[in-house]
Amino acid sequence: MCRASVLAATSYRRRWKCRTQRLALWSVGLLALLSSTTACSGAPAPPPAAEVAALQWDSVLSMARGTTVAWRMWRGDPSINAYVDRWVAPRLRDRYGITLNAFPGQGPEIINELVVEREAGVSGSADLVWINGETFSNLRAEGLLGGPWAHRLPNAVLVDSASPVISRDFEQDPAGYESPWGRVQFALIYDTVRTPEPPRTFAELADWIRAHPGRFTHDQQFTGMTFLKMLMYARAGGVEAFQGGFDEARYRAGSARVWEWLDEARSSFWRGGEAYPPGVADLHRLFANREVDFSMSNNHNEVVTKVRQGILPPTARALLLRDGTIANSHYLGIPYNAPNPAGAMVVADFLLSPEAQLEKLRPEVWADGTVLDVERLPPRWRRRFAAAEADPRSLPRDSLARYARPEVAPRYHERLSEDWRARVRRGP
Amino acid sequence: MRSRLRLLMAGVVILSAALPFAVLAVGSVAGEWRWPALVPSAIEGDAWTATLAGGTRLGPALLYSLALGLATGVLGTCVALPVGRAIAELHGWRRHLGAGMVFLPVAAPPIALGTGLQLTSLSVGLGGTFQGVLLAHLIPTTGYLSLFFVGILSVWDRRAEDEARTLGANPRQVLTRVTLPMLRPSIAAAAALGFLISWGQVPLTLLVGRGRVPTLPLEVFGYVQSGQERFAAAGALLLALPPLLALGAARLAARDVDVVPV
Amino acid sequence: MRRSWKGLAAAGVVAAPVGVGVVYAAAAAVGLVGVSRPDGASGQRVARVLAEPAVWESTLWSLWVASASTILAGAAALGTAAVFRGPGRLDRSARSAAVLPLPIPHLVAGVLGLLILGQSGLLGRAAYALRLVQAPADVPALVYDGWGVGLILTLAWKEFAFLVLVAWSALAERGAALEEAARTLGASPGQTFRRVTAPVLLRAMLPAGVAVFTFILGSFEVAALLGPSDPLPLPVLTLERYTDADLGRRSDAFVLALLGIGLAALAVGGHEWARSRWPDLEG
Repeated sequence: MCRASVLAATSYRRRWKCRTQRLALWSVGLLALLSSTTACSGAPAPPPAAEVAALQWDSVLSMARGTTVAWRMWRGDPSINAYVDRWVAPRLRDRYGITLNAFPGQGPEIINELVVEREAGVSGSADLVWINGETFSNLRAEGLLGGPWAHRLPNAVLVDSASPVISRDFEQDPAGYESPWGRVQFALIYDTVRTPEPPRTFAELADWIRAHPGRFTHDQQFTGMTFLKMLMYARAGGVEAFQGGFDEARYRAGSARVWEWLDEARSSFWRGGEAYPPGVADLHRLFANREVDFSMSNNHNEVVTKVRQGILPPTARALLLRDGTIANSHYLGIPYNAPNPAGAMVVADFLLSPEAQLEKLRPEVWADGTVLDVERLPPRWRRRFAAAEADPRSLPRDSLARYARPEVAPRYHERLSEDWRARVRRGP
Repeated sequence: MRSRLRLLMAGVVILSAALPFAVLAVGSVAGEWRWPALVPSAIEGDAWTATLAGGTRLGPALLYSLALGLATGVLGTCVALPVGRAIAELHGWRRHLGAGMVFLPVAAPPIALGTGLQLTSLSVGLGGTFQGVLLAHLIPTTGYLSLFFVGILSVWDRRAEDEARTLGANPRQVLTRVTLPMLRPSIAAAAALGFLISWGQVPLTLLVGRGRVPTLPLEVFGYVQSGQERFAAAGALLLALPPLLALGAARLAARDVDVVPV
Repeated sequence: MRRSWKGLAAAGVVAAPVGVGVVYAAAAAVGLVGVSRPDGASGQRVARVLAEPAVWESTLWSLWVASASTILAGAAALGTAAVFRGPGRLDRSARSAAVLPLPIPHLVAGVLGLLILGQSGLLGRAAYALRLVQAPADVPALVYDGWGVGLILTLAWKEFAFLVLVAWSALAERGAALEEAARTLGASPGQTFRRVTAPVLLRAMLPAGVAVFTFILGSFEVAALLGPSDPLPLPVLTLERYTDADLGRRSDAFVLALLGIGLAALAVGGHEWARSRWPDLEG
C-alpha cells in the first residue's frame, strides 16, 4: 500500500508540475506576443528636421495635421504642467489638429536616452526636448540634434534676437538647432519680514553671513552652482573676464577667488558648511521653515508662483545682487531621430506666438519671461505684456536688465561643479 | 507591570503606523504649514480638486499602476511557482546555488539592473512601453516570488495528498480538492506581494519606461523632486490606499508568508 | 540528474537579467559602449574610480546605514513578534497596525522622514511647542547628518513592517507546532526558546534580513532625500555620476554599479553559505 501511494504521489506530482510548467509557458508566450506587436510595427524612417524645415510652412502645417507630438520636458511644477496640458494642448488640437503628449525627462536624462537610442539603432521617442546650456552643448557635440530649423518658424521674426541672453546659449550659437522659449534671471529669495535690509552685493552678503551664522546655504545642483559662477564673475573681473570660450588659466584664477570667499564665509554657513541641501526644492523648504534666511532661483519670478502655491511665505521676495546676476534662456530642440519633426516645429512656433508667450508670463500661470521683443509687437500686445509684468512681487524690468549678465561657456559650469564637489563638499 | 509594558509597546506600534497616514492626509490639504506650526494655518484643496477634475495625472496614473501591478502579480506568480518548485526539489549545493541565483535579481541595485535593461528593452522595441516596464518589474518580482515558493514548497507536507489518494481520490480530485485549496493562500499572498513590488517601483520604471510610462510613483517622484509637498502627499495617499486593500487580502494568507521582502 | 539540471536552468532564467546588467555595465565601464564616444576597451576608468577615496567612503557609509537599519528593524520586529503573538484583542490590533506601513513605497517613506525628522519638521515643532527649543537650529540634526540617523530611522521604520510580518508567519507556521512538540518532550520554557523559537525565527528572518540589507544598499530614493552631502550614499553617488554634466564622467557610474552588484552578490553568497552549514530543521 505504501509503495502504491508513493507511486501515485510521484505521478500526481509530475502532472501537477506539468500544469504549472504549462502555465509558465503560456505566460512567457503571452509576453512574447505582446512584445512582438510593438517590435514589428517598424515604420519608414521620418524625414530629418532640416529637410522638413526647407518646405513651405503650409506644407509643414499639413504634414503636422493629425499627428502626435511627444515632448520630453521637466514635469515637476504643477503650474507649468497646467499651462502645457490645459492651455497649450487644447489649442494645438483645435487649431493644428496636433495631439500633444508631454512626458517627463530633463537635461542629463535626455542625453542618456538619445545615446541609448543611437546604440540600439531605433527611432526616437521624443519629437521635442526642453533644453539649454550644457545639455545643448553635449547634444550638439554628440550630433544628437536635428536641424537647422528654428529660423524657419514664422514667429521667429518676433524674437528679441538683439539680446545676447537669447541669441547666445551659454556663448553658443543656437544655429537654428534650438528655438528660444523663455528667459529667466537668477535671483536670491529673502523674506521682507525676517530680513528687512538684505545685503545687496557679494561683499555685503559675506558680512551678513558672518554676522548671522547658520542662516545661509546653497544647494548642490544647478542653482547652487550658478550662484558660485556669479560669485566668480563678481570676484574676478566680471563676466567679460570669462567670455570667449573656456580658458584653463582664467578658470583657475577665477575659481581660486571663489574658494577664497567660501573659505572665509563657509564656517558660518548652515550646518557649518558641512552639509548642503540636495536640490533647490530642499533649499526652498529650509527657507520656508526658517532654517535659513535665503533661498535662490534661476527664475527671478519663481518666487511669485511659489508664493501662490503656498510653498514660500507670502512675504518672500526676489533680490538681485548688484554685482550682476546671470540671465539665460531656455530652448526647444528636435532630436536627430524625432519621428515627427513637422509637428514639433508647429508646436515650437505656436509656443513663440505672442498669445502663448503672454499666457506663460502671467504670474498666476507660470511667470516665465518672454523671449519676444515686446517693443516690436503691435500696441495692443505691448499693453498686455506690460500689464502682465506689473505684478508688485515681480522685479521691475529695468533693474533686471541693468544687472543681467550672460552665461559663459558650459565648461566653466562643469569645472566649477566638479571642483566644488572635490574641494568644498568633501571637506578638508 | 508586564501588561502595562505591553500596552505601551502596542501604543508605540499603533502610533508609528497611524501617524504617517495622518501626516499625509493633513499634508495633502495644507495651504501653509511651516515652522513652528504643528497643524496647517490654512487649508488648500487644490491637489484633490485638480486630481478629481483631471488637472493632474494622478488619476490616470493610478489606473495605469493598478493594471501594471495586477499583471506583474499574476504573471510573476505563474512563472515563480514552477521555478520555486524546481529549485525546492534540488538538494545539496545545487539547491543553494539555485536559491542564490534567484536571490540575485532581488538583491542587485535597481540602478545597476536598469541601465543594462534600458538598451536591451530599446533594441527589442519594448523601451517606453507598458510591456517593457511589465517585463522589467517581473525581474525582481519573479526573484522574490521564486524564493517565496522555494520556502513554501520545501516544507510542503505531501501527506495530505497521499492520504487523499489512499482514500481513492484520482489525481484530478487531489489537485482540485487538496493541493490547490492548500496552496491557495500562498498563491494569493504571492500575487499580492508581486503587486506591491511593482506598485512602489521607481528606478526600473524610470529607466525602461523612459518617462513615457506614467505610473503613480513616478508622478509622486516628480512632485517630491520639485518640492510640491501638497501634491506629493495626495499622490502618496493614493499610493497607500489600494495596497492596503491588497494587504487585507494578503493577510488572509499571512501565515504562509516567508521570504517576501517588499 | 535531469531534475537538478532543470532546477538550475529555471533559476538561471530568473537570474539572467542580472547577467545582462553586469555585461552591459562591464562593457560601459571599460568604454566599449556608453555616452562618451567609445574608442576601444581600457581599464583606466575602473582603476581611476576605484582609486578615489570618496568611492570607498561612500561604500563604507552605505554599508553602515544598511547594517544599522536592518539590525534595528530586525530587533524591533523580533521583539514585537514575540510580545504580540497571542490571540487577544491587543495582540491582534498591534499585529494589524504593525503591517500597515507595508504598502507605503520607499519614496513616500523618505518624504515622511523629511517632514517629521527634519530640524524644522514635526518632531522639532513638537519640541518647540513644549518650549524645549527656540529655533530649528536647536533641534538635533537628524537629516543630511553624518551618521545618517534620520535615514536609518526612516528605513528601519519602513522595513519593520515587512520583517515583523515574516517573523509572525514563521512563529504561526512552524514555531507553534515545534514549541508544542518540545514542551511535550519535557523542555523547559528557556530551552524551548533557545533550541526551538530562536532558531525558527532566525531561519525565517535571515533571508528576509539579507533582502532588506541589499535593498537598502542599492536603493537611492530615500538616501537622496535624507542622506548627507559628504560622504554621498553609494547609490546617490552612482546616480550623480550617471547624470554628470561632464559626459566623460558618466560612464564612472557603471564602475559604481558593478561595485553595487558585487556587494549584493557577496551578501547573497554569504547567506547561502551560512544556510548550507545549518542542520536541516524541517527534515
